[in-house]
Amino acid sequence: MTAAPVLEARDLRKSFGPIHAVDGIDLALEPGRIYGLLGPNGSGKTTTIRMLAGLSKPTSGEARVLGTPMPNRQMLGQIGYMPQAEALYPELSVAENIGFFATLQGAKGEAAIERALDLVELTARRGSPVLELSGGMRRRLSLAITLVHEPPVLFLDEPTVGVDPALRVTFWAHFRRLADAGTTILVASHVMDEADRCDELLFIRAGRVIARGTGAELRATAHTDNLETAFLQFSGLDAEGRPLDAGHVGEVEA
Amino acid sequence: MNPRRFLAVARRIAEGFRRDRRSLALLIVAPVVITALLGWVLRDQAAASTRLVIANPAGAVGAQIETNLRDAVSGVDPKYGLTITSDAPTSDADARGLIRNGEADVALVLPSDIPAALQGGSLSLTVITAGTDPLSDGPRIAAVGALLQAAAKTFAPPGAAAVTPQITRETVYLSPDADQLDVLAPVFLGLFAYFFVYILTGVSFLRERVGGTLERLLATPVTRAEIVIGYSLGFSLFAAIQVLVLTLFVLGHVDIPAIGPIGAWTLGLNVQTAGSPLVAFIVALLLAVGAVNLGIFLSTFARTELQIVQFIPLVIVPQGLLGGVFWPVDRLPAALQALAQIMPVKWAVDALREVMLKGADLGSSAVQADLLVLVGLALLFVVLGAATIKREVA
Repeated sequence: MTAAPVLEARDLRKSFGPIHAVDGIDLALEPGRIYGLLGPNGSGKTTTIRMLAGLSKPTSGEARVLGTPMPNRQMLGQIGYMPQAEALYPELSVAENIGFFATLQGAKGEAAIERALDLVELTARRGSPVLELSGGMRRRLSLAITLVHEPPVLFLDEPTVGVDPALRVTFWAHFRRLADAGTTILVASHVMDEADRCDELLFIRAGRVIARGTGAELRATAHTDNLETAFLQFSGLDAEGRPLDAGHVGEVEA
Repeated sequence: MNPRRFLAVARRIAEGFRRDRRSLALLIVAPVVITALLGWVLRDQAAASTRLVIANPAGAVGAQIETNLRDAVSGVDPKYGLTITSDAPTSDADARGLIRNGEADVALVLPSDIPAALQGGSLSLTVITAGTDPLSDGPRIAAVGALLQAAAKTFAPPGAAAVTPQITRETVYLSPDADQLDVLAPVFLGLFAYFFVYILTGVSFLRERVGGTLERLLATPVTRAEIVIGYSLGFSLFAAIQVLVLTLFVLGHVDIPAIGPIGAWTLGLNVQTAGSPLVAFIVALLLAVGAVNLGIFLSTFARTELQIVQFIPLVIVPQGLLGGVFWPVDRLPAALQALAQIMPVKWAVDALREVMLKGADLGSSAVQADLLVLVGLALLFVVLGAATIKREVA
């Protein structure tokens, strides 16, 4: 490990009653890299991200951002969090939406807003109410809001859901540029073909990390060319999603 | 506490609201329309009519009394619209039949033993009404009372001079011609502010919770207090506009001359007022701040916007009934009086009456007490509202 970890989790757990959504996760993520949190729906990706981003308190264990234990309100200014939901004010304009969150995040001045809008190519629509935007434009605005205060840590929860392929490529190009500039990015996804764009992958299933490494490493370990098959194999399933042996029963929704 | 942040929250409310024409209309036009309707109903009601039938089973003596009563009708205040029908039933059963057929509104039944009763100094008369319309029965019975008073000499023992007292009415507050509207309208200022601000904040905050913007808000360094204060500021601004417009409409009046087929009419209710509208304004505003936070609080327990509306019978209607708007709180049953003490509307109604009807100002201890309780209740709801914003961050 070359640099101090930006994000750390130590035996992170979260239970909702009898359900263990996150069941003991350990992480140490380095600056300037893109990490992919991959797993089926309900595997604990969002819960993990919410704990790391300080939106939810762990049942036990610890999450740290830049060395500070979360949740911590002051730290939130150092974090960009893009929720899965649209989370925009439909009656407000593009500029009003981003201006509002920029103020709350303490982003200084119009320049930051212009830069973020320019990045997602929404400058021309700055006066339009969100109500009139297409789904893709809304995702772009959501990303711009997440980036407006130029946080060193980004949490992106399924950022490309409902985004067309061309825009998806643009999004990933942004992520790469930000990482190159030193931003640490954790992307939750259940889309395996996005995984190769990450520097490192964490396969998560039933609230646990079942494998981690680069795409190439994971494929090699699983003796397959296909990440999806690799994931299934790490889950103890064959290529059709059937249990490899009677001892493992599971499901992959994605 | 960072003013930049809570001002940003307030500004975003204002910006969103400015574009939501329908809510804006609901907030400002609806109270004026309802108050105008109320004013119209209370002031321009069709004249009352009281058709009285006299049942006389007592023969000649009763007939003389009946004649005296007919002569006395002209002495009864015309506001009762009292007339005596030409029917001459001789039993109360016949009189009941006339009311049942809709030929009379009220029957006065003379006792069959009038001569003996007059001699004995105790006369008992029976008044019969349909009983299906208590609201109209009151004035009708009063009309019969007025008639008996006007015909008092009828019942005087022979030889004694009859004295008919004349009553001149005066009042401590306002003037004797103050009508129901003068008493109700000031109170409506508070009730409307409470009602509409509650609905709008409830729905608005529910959208934050459901739409994910609350999650995004909580992912920034904003504090819960800043959110609640921002909301209170933002919605109070619109509550202020509402109260201002409604106050102007209730207290002011512009006479519009007849144009073409439309006769002359008056815009505005021209309600009598004794006190400072500014103090009334402060009262309504304090009430609105409580309503904002009640809306935030209850939005936790609603899943849909419809459910916010479903809370109205639970949180708004009881306050309208028990808050002293229609019936004085001190005439309520003891248990309900206790309940009324925790209702913000009760304290606002009291303060508004003190100010608008009795002319009290901020120096009045009654108004000060009301305001103090209102501030306390508003603070309580601010705390409750903030507590429902789930956040695990210190």
